[in-house]
Amino acid sequence: MIPVLTPSAPPDPNLFPRATEPLEEVAAATPADAAAALGFALGRLRPATATDVRPLVLVTTAAWLCERGRPFSPGLAAWGAGRLIWVRAEREAQALWALEEALKSGAVAGGLATVEAPSLVATRRLDFAARAGGAVGVALRVQAPGDLSAARRRWRIAARGSGPAPFDPAAPGQARLRAELLRRRDGPPGAWDMEQDDATLGLRVVVGLAGHGLAARPAPAAQSGLGEPGCERAA
Amino acid sequence: MVERGAHGLRLLALNPAARRLGLRADQAHADATAMVPHLISLPAAPDEDAAALRRLALWAERFSPLVAMAAGRPGDEALLIDMTGGAHLFGGEAALLADIRRRLNAAGIPARLALADTPAAAWALARYGAGAETIAPPGQTRLALAELPVEGLRLEPAALTLLRRFGLKRIGDLYDLPRAGLARRFRGEAGLRVVERLDKALGLIADPLVPQRPAPLYRSWRIFAEPLTDTGGIETQAPELAQALAAQLEAAGLGARRLSLTGFRVDGRVTAISAGLSAPSASPAHLLRLLRETGLERLDLGFGVDALMLSADAAEPIAARQIEIGEGRAAAGPQALAGLIDRLGARLGQAAIRIPQPSASWIPERSEAWVRASDEIPPPLAGEVAGRASATTEGPSRGGERPPPSRPGGRDTSPASGGGKDSRYNPLRPILLLDPPEPVEAIAQAPDGAPARFTWRRAPRRVIRAEGPERLSAEWWRVDAPDAIGRTRDYYRLEDDQGHRYWLFREGLYGREDADRAPCWWMHGVFA
Repeated sequence: MIPVLTPSAPPDPNLFPRATEPLEEVAAATPADAAAALGFALGRLRPATATDVRPLVLVTTAAWLCERGRPFSPGLAAWGAGRLIWVRAEREAQALWALEEALKSGAVAGGLATVEAPSLVATRRLDFAARAGGAVGVALRVQAPGDLSAARRRWRIAARGSGPAPFDPAAPGQARLRAELLRRRDGPPGAWDMEQDDATLGLRVVVGLAGHGLAARPAPAAQSGLGEPGCERAA
Repeated sequence: MVERGAHGLRLLALNPAARRLGLRADQAHADATAMVPHLISLPAAPDEDAAALRRLALWAERFSPLVAMAAGRPGDEALLIDMTGGAHLFGGEAALLADIRRRLNAAGIPARLALADTPAAAWALARYGAGAETIAPPGQTRLALAELPVEGLRLEPAALTLLRRFGLKRIGDLYDLPRAGLARRFRGEAGLRVVERLDKALGLIADPLVPQRPAPLYRSWRIFAEPLTDTGGIETQAPELAQALAAQLEAAGLGARRLSLTGFRVDGRVTAISAGLSAPSASPAHLLRLLRETGLERLDLGFGVDALMLSADAAEPIAARQIEIGEGRAAAGPQALAGLIDRLGARLGQAAIRIPQPSASWIPERSEAWVRASDEIPPPLAGEVAGRASATTEGPSRGGERPPPSRPGGRDTSPASGGGKDSRYNPLRPILLLDPPEPVEAIAQAPDGAPARFTWRRAPRRVIRAEGPERLSAEWWRVDAPDAIGRTRDYYRLEDDQGHRYWLFREGLYGREDADRAPCWWMHGVFA
């Protein structure tokens, strides 16, 4: 059911779907990639939240919290989730209900829920709720998807070595991850390498990436200003 | 019921059978058992008595919202209901007392009832009046009280003894005495001041009732001829209750902040559910939905409920808000958000819905507080929409001390002036925080350097990139929890060969701090 991607398939940045569907599914390739998957999910919601005054809702289950840690707002703000409402549900059924209520209320710009294995019916309900409320929803799955789902796009996320840090070659730089689009309705599946973008607080596609080599990175204004804080603001 | 007193066990309360055998309250238990060898006595439970009376007081709110409990010495308790201007609703005073009696009888609660101009007079008539139901007509309190014993004034035993010694047995005996002499002789505590007690009973000085709980200003009622025994019945009544309450609130220009649905049971108890609202609302649909989310089935109906009351326990003015041009779909904004938070909170508990708030601490787990969303609706940030964000944080600095991320009164830029990112923006912080931190076994090349490899959750990881330390010193001024202050932390951002990024810290400094405990490593967060 899951299409097999050939490793040699060249990632075409133009095929990357920038607009977000009402409901998308993001899964971590391995349990250790959960944080990367959360970051990618926030990146998917970013186009919706960037131009909306409404807040974002994050619904977590108790099991996920126990395993992965709690959301940390200073770090989340760097991913564009400054205005966040965190809903702590005990079980998955509650989490799905809470996300559905939030999406269809029209009071939030987007919603995220950590789920284990939502049924087809549950995802269809989420899809309809998101359309009704004019919001975008992301189901953040713990395991890679193998079952039916009404989500229009299904992603699998793995962390990758970070980009170059501007001042210290030994330091981790911008967060990077590999996003595999396993299923979509409006085009062929694909895989892209992505990097966190400070300017938009979202993600951008990186091309020509191999291992930890230097990526073609647009020269940021910060480098010309010798990295003085605040120079980007002046720009 | 017996009670342990200064001179051994004493009888506190008796049932009618014991009273017929010649026993009386305040008798020594030894005497009583001598008279009636088969006497069954149980220790008194004043706390349970008070709790039962409190339950009954809540139930009595069906007659009037102002219900007070007259607590006193054991055996002197009473319920005081302020019926001012309300008796006609029950068909007059006599019909009211008959109604109360009928309902109490149905619940198996014996009672003596009295109705008078003042609470103290009603108390005296209920305790010492001729019949089980006494009504003192308006303005005739003086006459009604005249024949009652002086015990009816709720005096201390010391004062009663003194009065008896003077031969003053009836309240009427006190009417004609010179007040100055009486007041001089009986002074001290409230229970000794005969003149004051007398004036209160006669209504010469004010004797305000302190109700059991503040009377809700806005409430709607349904009273049923036959008690409702299932949730379905309540379900059908709830819309009308919500409509009626909303109409009252609407007329007053207020919105409910706290809502409770109270069912008055036939067995003299009440059952209630309540829900909080994060923003005042007078929309019947919202109130109704909130009640349903809270769970009508949580009402314990017992043998049936014959009256339902929906009350707004707290109400606040609704601030009219102008809808901005072009706001479009988000126009419902604050109301819709408040409604969502209420619905989620009603099902999951208000404590489960949180919004982040920065707090003045640089210790990461204390630098943010997740406050209840119902207490604080996130304000709409106009500046956040302003398109392209600009960086306001400092570049990464090598080693040494770094200014705290959220310095109180420091450089922090406010969200409005920052033009985009809020002040919490900090790419050097993880998105997931492990709280509490988890222990890690780490091997570093230099004692105070970054780890080269570490084991977390039993999986070994090889570090290929590291940045740090970011030194956060302990908050030594926190004197309230000296043990929890901890040691200096050196934070490192690490990346392993799989591309995962972690936030580790070493607690303690080699050779400089707490020399008898070796520094140890902790995993505190995961970066995206």
